[in-house]
Amino acid sequence: MDALKVWRASAHLLSFASRAAASSRANVSFRVRCCSSSAASAAVDLPAPKVAPAKSDRRRRSSTSTSDRESIRAIRLKKVEELRSKGHEPYAYTWTKTHTACQLQDIYSHLVQGEECKEDLVSIAGRIVARRAFGKLAFLTLRDDSGTIQLYCEKESLEDQFEQLKTYVDIGDIVGVKGSIKKTEKGELSVYVKNFEILTKSLLPLPDKYHGLTDVDKRYRQRYVDMIANPEVADVFRIRAKIISEIRRTMESLGFIEVETPVLQGEVGGAEARPFVTYHNSLGRNLYLRIATELHLKRMLVGGLEKVFEIGRIFRNEGISTRHNPEFTTIEMYEAYSDYQSMMNMAEEIVSQCALVVHGKLDIDYQGIQISLQRPWRRETMHNLVKEATDIDFFEFGNNLEAAKKAAKEILGGRSENKDSHLVEACPSVGHVLNEIFETIIEPTLVQPTFVLDYPIEISPLAKPHRRYKELTERFELYICGREIANAFSELTDPVDQRVRFEEQIKQHNDKRASLVSNSKSPEEEKGTDDYSYEVSLDEDFVTSLEYGMPPASGMGLGIDRLIMLLTNSASIRDVIAFPVLKIQQ
Amino acid sequence: MADGTDQVTDSMSNLSTGDPSAAEAPSKNALKKELKKKKKEEENRLKEEEKKKKAAAVPQSNKPLAADDEDMDPTQYYENRLKVLALLKEAGTNPYPHKFHVSMTIDEYIEQYKVLSDGTHLKDVEVNLAGRIMNKRTSSSKLYFYDLYGGGLKVQVMADARDSDMDEVEFSKYHNSVKRGDIVGICGYPGKSKRGELSVFPKRFIVLSPCLHMMPRQKAGPGAENASNKNNEVKTTSDVWTPGMLRNPETYVLKDQETRYRQRYLDLMLNHEVRQIFKTRAKIINHIRDFLNKLDFLEVETPMMNMIAGGAAAKPFVTHHNDLNMKLFMRIAPELYLKELVVGGLDRVYEIGKQFRNEGIDLTHNPEFTTCEFYMAFADYNDLMVLTEEMISGMVKALTGGYKIKYHAKGVDNDPIEIDFTPPFRRIDMIEELEKAANLNIPKDLSSEETNKYLLNACEKFDVKCPPPQTTTRLLDKLVGHFLEETCVNPTFIINHPEIMSPLAKWHRSKPGLTERFELFINKHEVCNAYTELNDPVVQRQRFAEQLKDRQSGDDEAMALDETFCTALEYGLPPTGGWGLGIDRLTMLFTDSQNIKEVLLFPAMKPQDEPSTKG
Repeated sequence: MDALKVWRASAHLLSFASRAAASSRANVSFRVRCCSSSAASAAVDLPAPKVAPAKSDRRRRSSTSTSDRESIRAIRLKKVEELRSKGHEPYAYTWTKTHTACQLQDIYSHLVQGEECKEDLVSIAGRIVARRAFGKLAFLTLRDDSGTIQLYCEKESLEDQFEQLKTYVDIGDIVGVKGSIKKTEKGELSVYVKNFEILTKSLLPLPDKYHGLTDVDKRYRQRYVDMIANPEVADVFRIRAKIISEIRRTMESLGFIEVETPVLQGEVGGAEARPFVTYHNSLGRNLYLRIATELHLKRMLVGGLEKVFEIGRIFRNEGISTRHNPEFTTIEMYEAYSDYQSMMNMAEEIVSQCALVVHGKLDIDYQGIQISLQRPWRRETMHNLVKEATDIDFFEFGNNLEAAKKAAKEILGGRSENKDSHLVEACPSVGHVLNEIFETIIEPTLVQPTFVLDYPIEISPLAKPHRRYKELTERFELYICGREIANAFSELTDPVDQRVRFEEQIKQHNDKRASLVSNSKSPEEEKGTDDYSYEVSLDEDFVTSLEYGMPPASGMGLGIDRLIMLLTNSASIRDVIAFPVLKIQQ
Repeated sequence: MADGTDQVTDSMSNLSTGDPSAAEAPSKNALKKELKKKKKEEENRLKEEEKKKKAAAVPQSNKPLAADDEDMDPTQYYENRLKVLALLKEAGTNPYPHKFHVSMTIDEYIEQYKVLSDGTHLKDVEVNLAGRIMNKRTSSSKLYFYDLYGGGLKVQVMADARDSDMDEVEFSKYHNSVKRGDIVGICGYPGKSKRGELSVFPKRFIVLSPCLHMMPRQKAGPGAENASNKNNEVKTTSDVWTPGMLRNPETYVLKDQETRYRQRYLDLMLNHEVRQIFKTRAKIINHIRDFLNKLDFLEVETPMMNMIAGGAAAKPFVTHHNDLNMKLFMRIAPELYLKELVVGGLDRVYEIGKQFRNEGIDLTHNPEFTTCEFYMAFADYNDLMVLTEEMISGMVKALTGGYKIKYHAKGVDNDPIEIDFTPPFRRIDMIEELEKAANLNIPKDLSSEETNKYLLNACEKFDVKCPPPQTTTRLLDKLVGHFLEETCVNPTFIINHPEIMSPLAKWHRSKPGLTERFELFINKHEVCNAYTELNDPVVQRQRFAEQLKDRQSGDDEAMALDETFCTALEYGLPPTGGWGLGIDRLTMLFTDSQNIKEVLLFPAMKPQDEPSTKG
């Protein structure tokens, strides 16, 4: 397990490097709300991860062959029958616990070796994860939600039940036991079993902790097996719940109200991403799965709910990778009468509160990198960051797209054998070129929390123009460990401007699609074409709602899965999603 | 920033001379219409006055100024406002300022200054309020009254030229350009009018976001505004709607259902009760969350897109993942995944989230809806009935202060019923009670052909309709609907469903052919469904096989086999009680809603024939 983590960490670092050097993105991802994924993100993965499962697959097959499994199942099914014939139901209805394993460990930690508490009768239940049986004595290890405890079983006290235990209880079974408490001579706190019941008979053998579950693919496909074999896996999901609950608590304490907006929509908006399409039989029409919650939440601001948020699932029909799952969880929040400056404070507040709840401190480790979440976090404009790294001031280009492209190609050419030049060539504006440079060169270097401010207007169709620079917007993205965690802006409230921006966005999309279709030669480029082969439409109703007047406001989207990855030191998004989407098994 | 908004203010007032909407020479027709309308309004108002038997205080007749451009054609109105905006922008002014600092909410303002005595003005205090103008009354060119709304509450704005930092001409021009519906920011001081109305007196008054459309009218109608002030006052203080009380959308300012649901923001803006529905909804969800968290349940998230749509019987939505070239179904229930987590050792888990069913839309069905499901290891359905009683009755108590709610079960035109949530809830045994109620003697082997014929006859006898396929499951379901569910107005558990109706529930420990399952019915609708979970993998496979038979006989709502789930059971699911609750239906009950669309912010709507009309 540890070895695996190290391996994954290094793969991760490599992928950073590869992104910096030779990003294989097929396009400039045109991000609108947080955690949009680049279209060809799957391609970012090194070939290595694909090799790994195959390797361990072979190992798995050698360790537990299918025939082993089937014979064990047959034996246990027979035990089920025998138990029933003896009047014991091997799938019990209920069990009343008095304690959890962890509680017992706490309460009786003071016992000395060999000491017994005969009067205290306790009742616990859980899964048998280890078993050693001798002539008149058996030691079992029981694990429940909270931890483990030893079961001390003696023929003398169990009488007839002892043989039954030896014959019918296997590792993996769920049992309920009653008994007193005893610390063994060896110092192991145990339940001195007076009575036991098989609550659920398991039919399949648990994987060997040290071999079975190095199979990465199986860990995700059969998460429950992963959790039985590696109890620490469940901790990630406990922390996940804690983080989301902390975010909710923070929002509610600030007077925000949680709402639910539709997943199925007549038209998609609020981001640029390929949507999932489905069909509603009785309405007789196509519906799209939401790619953002933005446009509906903003309608709530128009309606007079001044502070709203939604924590929910977003769907994007894009490749899977260590950072991308087709469905993922975000929080989006909108606050009337505030601007993007106050959203930066909000982002700091939320992330640091969550870190404190999980770690109790603001200095955390992520895959071997020390991250300091001490406030304030660095705030720097995109232009300055690019200037700092490349000595090029993009303001100087004005509207001169050719000059910007030339400069960009020079920068990238020196670094990556010109592979990105066709991406730069495809940029329709100076803002897009700047963004391309930013994503390729700056993004991976933003390890400590950094707010990147004031994005070009061309790539921010829902953000308000900057109050001082007309070519910029009041927008920021928060980066930690080279990953975008949050995206926020002073919201565009002018319906006339909004319509123009939407039209521009649609035009850009269609131009891109057209140019990709006409230029595609290689299979890889054809894939790029495919990424743009969906329709983008203008959400008329949203524009109408703006015409009724939306108060000045700011909004932010924050990727919850990525925040959880950061705070649980998980290298892959699959480690923080209980049932990630996986390729179809061959 | 202050400079920025000042600029706006300046140019707004400068430009209002060019405001085409200020054209106060309406066409002949419009004049006639206006006269007619006014006459009618005057009559209405007088009638209302009489009814209320309010002494004296004859309202002042409206000055022509107040009539404003409200009678203009909506398209014309919209275009005029667009022109004003364009002119402002041409002059280099942003009609949408970036930021207005709000020092307190209207709620806080009322709370803090309601104690002022009549006629007091705190000229030294400065407050910054913001909200939407829902009423405008012009007293003179130097004095304008507005109703400013924020957070569902109202405060009067008394804009007096003497308080303003503009000169009189400017002031008048600026305020002429302010329209009903505009979002404005006000820097001013608090005070109370002589008549005792809490007001704010602006020194500066800034339009933050103009409303380009004509707002639908308040129901009192123009002209009655001055008179209705007092009434509004009463409404906002003693008549506030709270959960469990009756509601009547037919008395709303904006009544048209299509508009209310399609443009929910208008509904929220104009019908102040509506925001309370969604606050109630949030409270219900919070209550469930708190209840479960206190019992050490862990909230989790399971996939909404699945390879197999399992855990319930319903038509799923189908979609396609391009990159993986994979067919995916939208989940119809999270059940199977949650049970897999219990197998994995999370003993108490729950998920609150959307489910999706590709079914028709009606008063109680929306294609996506919100449920809570929880799974509790080592508990059975008896334990869950007790928990359900605690949770639901506790919720009613927390929301309403008592155990009884009022509900228009037969529509708003008929008398409401009372629903009593005092625990414990009634429990009725499904088959036993059905036999009693219909005087039947159903054959014991429910899966037999004989039973099917028997029930078919029973349905015919009682004229209970069951469209094909007439499987035993469906026949029973219809009979139970007819004889038992109809009696379940106060919360009632219908328990011990037959195995053939419950493929995921465990067989009853003492009643052969039945399962340990309950459904909670309130006002004749199913709200909860729960059971002792079937955890014997062999039996589970058999049940799936039986479902397959139903599928083959044409019931496409029978459940599909999920191999991954069956394998998980083979690793051992502890004895577990599982539970599901429909949050939308519960919210309907507590908000006196007869239509599910009332409790969904953006309900699914049939496509309109024509593109939505503006306004």
